[in-house]
Amino acid sequence: MSAHDSPDPSKAVLWDTHYHGHDVISTRSFGYFLYLLSDGMLFATLFAAYGVLSYSHSYFNGQTPADFVHPWYTFTQTVALFLSVLAYGMGMSAVKKGNKAGLMNGLIAAFVLGVIFLGLDIHDMMDLAAHGVTVQTSGGASAFIVLTQVHAAHIFFGLLWILVMMAQVAAKGFTTDTVGRLLSLRMFWHLQAIIWVFVFVFVYLWGYMS
Amino acid sequence: MLVQVPGGWNPLLGRLAIDQIPYTNPILAPLFVAVVIGAVIILGLITYYHKWGYLWKEWLTTVDHKKLGVMYIILGLVMLFRGFIDGLMIRTQQVWANGPQSSGVFGAVHGYLTPFHFGQVYSAHGLIMILLAATPLLVGFMNIIVPLQVGARDMAYPYLNALGLWITAAAVALIMISLFVGDFAHNGWFGYAPIFELQYSPGVGVDYWIWTLELTALGTTLGGINLIATIVKMRAPGMTWFRLPIFTWASLSANIIALTSFPALQVALFLVACDRYLGSHFFTAGFGGNLMLYTNLFWIWGHPEVYFVILPAFGMMSEIFPAFSEKPLFGYITMVAASFAIAGVSWLVWLHHFFTMGAGPDVNSFFSVATMLVGIPTGVKVFNWAFTMYRGRITYTAAMLWAIGALFLLLVGGLTGMMLAIPAINYMVHNSVFVIAHFHSMLLVIVYAIFGSVLFWFPKVFGFKLDEFWAKTMFWLFSAGSVLVFVPMYMLGFMGQTRRLDYVFNTAWHPYLVTEEIGIAVYCLSVAAFFVLLYVSIRDRVKNRVGQDAWGTSRSLEWLTHSPVPFYNFAVTPHVNARDELAWRRHNGINEAQPTQYVDIHMPNNTGVAIYIGALTFVLGFALTWRVWWLCLLSLVAIIVLMIVRSWRGDPGYIITAAELEKMEREAMQRQQQVEGHLPHHGGQAVPGGAMAYEGQKVSPLGTPPSSGGDHH
Amino acid sequence: MSHGHDNPILHPEVQMSSTRGYFTGFLISLVLMAAATAMVSSHAFPPFGLLMVITICAAIAIIAQIYFLLHIDVSEHNIWNTVSLVLFIPLFIFTIGLTWWMFSQLYLRTMPMMPGMH
Repeated sequence: MSAHDSPDPSKAVLWDTHYHGHDVISTRSFGYFLYLLSDGMLFATLFAAYGVLSYSHSYFNGQTPADFVHPWYTFTQTVALFLSVLAYGMGMSAVKKGNKAGLMNGLIAAFVLGVIFLGLDIHDMMDLAAHGVTVQTSGGASAFIVLTQVHAAHIFFGLLWILVMMAQVAAKGFTTDTVGRLLSLRMFWHLQAIIWVFVFVFVYLWGYMS
Repeated sequence: MLVQVPGGWNPLLGRLAIDQIPYTNPILAPLFVAVVIGAVIILGLITYYHKWGYLWKEWLTTVDHKKLGVMYIILGLVMLFRGFIDGLMIRTQQVWANGPQSSGVFGAVHGYLTPFHFGQVYSAHGLIMILLAATPLLVGFMNIIVPLQVGARDMAYPYLNALGLWITAAAVALIMISLFVGDFAHNGWFGYAPIFELQYSPGVGVDYWIWTLELTALGTTLGGINLIATIVKMRAPGMTWFRLPIFTWASLSANIIALTSFPALQVALFLVACDRYLGSHFFTAGFGGNLMLYTNLFWIWGHPEVYFVILPAFGMMSEIFPAFSEKPLFGYITMVAASFAIAGVSWLVWLHHFFTMGAGPDVNSFFSVATMLVGIPTGVKVFNWAFTMYRGRITYTAAMLWAIGALFLLLVGGLTGMMLAIPAINYMVHNSVFVIAHFHSMLLVIVYAIFGSVLFWFPKVFGFKLDEFWAKTMFWLFSAGSVLVFVPMYMLGFMGQTRRLDYVFNTAWHPYLVTEEIGIAVYCLSVAAFFVLLYVSIRDRVKNRVGQDAWGTSRSLEWLTHSPVPFYNFAVTPHVNARDELAWRRHNGINEAQPTQYVDIHMPNNTGVAIYIGALTFVLGFALTWRVWWLCLLSLVAIIVLMIVRSWRGDPGYIITAAELEKMEREAMQRQQQVEGHLPHHGGQAVPGGAMAYEGQKVSPLGTPPSSGGDHH
Repeated sequence: MSHGHDNPILHPEVQMSSTRGYFTGFLISLVLMAAATAMVSSHAFPPFGLLMVITICAAIAIIAQIYFLLHIDVSEHNIWNTVSLVLFIPLFIFTIGLTWWMFSQLYLRTMPMMPGMH
């Protein structure tokens, strides 16, 4: 019961000598997007854990996010991250015309802004520790810190990757490999902005409200 | 920030110390000696026959999906053996330590294993069997078969494929080394809070467990990405979605499950690691932690995982049944739909692993109904297989026997699963051996499917068939063992035996335990039969050589390649014209048609980077376990550096010219003629006895004797 | 589908980058995040209503980002990404939602009355 009519055997094509093979760039991008979705699941699980550990009893009479979150400080981090993502996007638009300098400017700006984000985040964590809020304080604090820092770790490795790409493009220009990697990095970087919206709204802001 | 660990720590060696090596343990010390002797022999033989170069060039640095698949399967079989030994140890301990009068040796009050050691044995048994035996075996088959079935030359990411294998091998190395350096976890294969916390498991066992699981999860996720991308992006021209072979569909649905669920495992374990290394309070009993959270997060992965392992097994059965019933698979579209229905619903059932933990009747009811829903598509599959066989021309090869056995096991396991889905029953038998018997029945479905697939596809990969007599002997012994071990276990579950008992207090159960022990002995015989099978098959390999269509009634695209499959798979990419392409071509008499024209093809290069990174992940896992921080940092940096170096160098690959291809193809066709020269090939009709010469049948030469007949030793 | 592109820059995935799209996505999400922050730090609404509002802000920001930044649409080159995302979204919802339901039921049964419960 085939849904397709089989061709006439005497005229059927059995071997395809003109098959050019798969499109390397789009195969790579698709696989990388699948990886990013699995990364999204990682965050979803972390959010599930955070949800369970964000009740008032999870903080064990210690400080809650209402005590230690500063919304406008974190909003500055948001600005830095979103600008970094925008800069990267601008860099990718420069690639459309083969503009190497435009791409490099975008990458450098994205890198610097990302470093600013990380710097703000590290300062925030050290400030928390100084006020006696570490992962050892309570379940709620553990969840808060681990979730936000897993995101920060992603940013860290992304920044490393940006550096590597700057070196590769400087040395090799726009080859199939380097362009493919730039596309993957674009998806990765833009996903970080999306994840950050969740983190910012549902961890920082909502925590502050409770 | 880091916790103080009991038992001392120093900056150079972390928690490593000479007393972590169990040289006084009466079981492990002799085992270690045996392992060392075995290793010396193997390494010595390789050196003596000057095979290191061959090994490096052909196997350790390969990116060829077939070789990687074979290595996965070898890894899986070795670990299946180790897991079996662990199972043997469990059974023996339980039958020995039965009742207060039972004797004790080796420091145990009853039996021969102390409770602490017994805990490690059953934890290792579970972990190894599911993640380091069944999963690599299935992944190995998917690796070998799927690219061939879609008409591709390799997977979408050959280098990533190799990386996945070596990371899995690193996980295997980590759990194996836990035998001799330190302990393994004793918290069961899936772990419980708070026993895995540092306070209650101060040793390194749980850390080994965490990092072994994390590494396997990483390897499987990478493999999942690879398979999905291959199936979506690399199908041959004409291979539309509904012409895809059913095993490929099964692999697709299974790997979608893998991709979506393994991150939950990684998080669950990572949070345990945070508790143990950083002193966080995710799963502690106090300070705002939540014990049930661990169980929840783990089983969010855990349930989809079991469907990840069973769907490829179903796919394998769906390939074997049609081939040996000489009929197309009944209800192809419903089979595909059922696979995806199972994958989808499997995401909604995970709480049935902890009905008793207190979520309440509303939540329990939801998950119970969802669990029962999964039975419907599974039932569809069972009926489809039955209807495939109905009015087919059935040949009871050993592979077919394994598949039919799997079907019976599925009925038993599936029905008991439906029983367990009902919370009222579940509350009675939760954590009893009834549950163990249920899931072993299901896992045996997978094992049966794997053995059937080994027999079915071995001729394609290696060019000769396995000995039928010994394969059937192994089947019957294995099935007898299964019945003897697990039927009493269902009964004992109802009678109240809980799982994981190192001392079984009720002597009324003794006859059942003895029966189970006899069953294990029968399993040992079947393992012996397996080794005899290998020996006999390799000895008779020239006699049992096969051509392209090894069984004469195979149906899907992979059977179009030569046997053994050349490293480039298809010389020219095939154009697909129908579902069950080979069957269609054979029916129209064109299955022997070869390409008239060859073109240059592009192949990836071998690379040592994958195995170096794999080795480094082992070092990283080991260093994390023993908290040797400088080594952690060093290996992590080394891994990143290697990744950057590899990325920098890239892989331009190499070209095989059309002329070289033509030469290799001609040689392959000559070999094919030698093998099948005495069997006339009529296009579609099955020649009595001719097209299915196996079982050592003496086929009289119907035409001129083969030009180079006889043995070529 | 194969493309005989010798020049990787001409690949459709490169060409689909759009300065205007990226800027629009940036602007929408930034404005919404600013609004949410302002509302939260000034306690503009009672807690439950506030939660609704910031959830809506987040949802719109995310949809904008998914469309403008990740290029999720139904064009030929993006369709597989879109399909994959659409298949994953229910799983995110189940993971978080079913967990939340499970534990709120558990806490109802096992924890004493809790002020400040969500």
